[in-house]
Amino acid sequence: MTNHNDRIDQAIRNAVETALPQINGIDFDAALTSDIGLDSVQVMDLVMEIEDELDISVPVEVLAEVQTLNQLGERLRSMIKDNPA
Amino acid sequence: MSLFDKFSKLAGARASLGAEGTPPVATPIEDIISAAEGVIDGKRVILAGTNNYLGLTLDPDVVHSARQALEHFGTGTTGSRMANGSYHAHAALEQEIGAAFGWPAAMVFSTGYQANLASIATLAGKDDFLLLDSDSHASIYDGAKLGNAQTVIFRHNDPENLDRRLSRLGQDATRALIVVEGLYSMLGDQPPLAEFIEVKKRHNAWLLLDEAHSFGVFGENGLGLAEQAGLLGEIDFIVGTFSKSLGGIGGFCTSPHAELELLRLAARPYIFTASPSPSVIASTRTALSKVTAGADLRSRLWDNINRLYRALQTYGYRLGSDKPGPVAAIILPDRESALAHWRGLLANGIYTNLMVPPATPKGLNLLRISLSAAHTPEHIDRIVEAFGQLRKAA
Repeated sequence: MTNHNDRIDQAIRNAVETALPQINGIDFDAALTSDIGLDSVQVMDLVMEIEDELDISVPVEVLAEVQTLNQLGERLRSMIKDNPA
Repeated sequence: MSLFDKFSKLAGARASLGAEGTPPVATPIEDIISAAEGVIDGKRVILAGTNNYLGLTLDPDVVHSARQALEHFGTGTTGSRMANGSYHAHAALEQEIGAAFGWPAAMVFSTGYQANLASIATLAGKDDFLLLDSDSHASIYDGAKLGNAQTVIFRHNDPENLDRRLSRLGQDATRALIVVEGLYSMLGDQPPLAEFIEVKKRHNAWLLLDEAHSFGVFGENGLGLAEQAGLLGEIDFIVGTFSKSLGGIGGFCTSPHAELELLRLAARPYIFTASPSPSVIASTRTALSKVTAGADLRSRLWDNINRLYRALQTYGYRLGSDKPGPVAAIILPDRESALAHWRGLLANGIYTNLMVPPATPKGLNLLRISLSAAHTPEHIDRIVEAFGQLRKAA
């Protein structure tokens, strides 16, 4: 489980670095739109990076349900648990 | 707390475009002189940001058809297609659109936005999948939101990225609808259609091609990118609009699958709205005949496109697409320089579109020019000259 968690957290970190190089430091509890100030296009770029990192598809409906990277990580964990590669 | 608090960020973005001078967003156009010229701030300008690709809005035959229908049938149908809003002309236009593509089914919608909303939300249902290009138009995203399909985004114009997502679906890919556009309206770029079709076929998926900006512009009969590429036979659904090359308002979906007709019973944006007004249907029918027989219009448009693209490349501008097309998007380093270009061009009598985030892909700041067959060589000279002056001043 820890391996899964590490892998997901690392994938999120890598994705933030690639998709949002302007963000300094990652606060996993900050709201992506209201706190970090991302627009919908930036959130989508971020998720596409994560999809490539983890080799999974994240339905856009999931994005409407999560506000922070921690919440996104939780959803990714349950998706990977339900459909292990 | 106010219901309006959530709009403060958007209000701030609008304010950052400057409170003084001509507004670059929703710019008031005071008069229309021709399909290529108008009046803004009391000054005659060349309209180079209208999507009036073939200049048919003021074509005498098109206007005459609308006038006749207006006088005979009145200003509106006052009802939906399902109730009292199905006139002979609506069905005739659908038949003519289907015939142009050689396909058995076509549906007409009250706007192009609704054509995508209805087609996408209804074709892909609860147990189906939607695969959307990340640069898709808002109407495509909104169609996904309105429907119940599981939606996955793939990287813009990247067939390999789509392939990976379809592979993850396995057998379910046979219930996946891929949506791509024939010409992306922000950057003016085109999809690698043949490669997308290869991927679609490999997974037995379905393909909807939105030809909103490419209909009338590409192909021998102006049917769009799929016709030009000789790939019409590989497409499942084509969506188009009446509000660009056809010079009116409305939209359509056409298909080689006769079952498209069933959407009339299920597509909410088709059922629960008034049908297009008779004058719009009449003007669109005449415009459609001009588009399909409009090789001369297309030839004029492409002369203008090629001249402008060459000039912009010579000036060293970074463009949204290497392939010339009816939309030329100039990528500028920041919001301020994009705004300065927009104002500089307007001062020189050229109206273009300023496009800034979040309406643009990848956070780009764009100056968007759309060309028309109605532009004369002199108009293009003036546009090129205005860019030359801006380049010198930079």
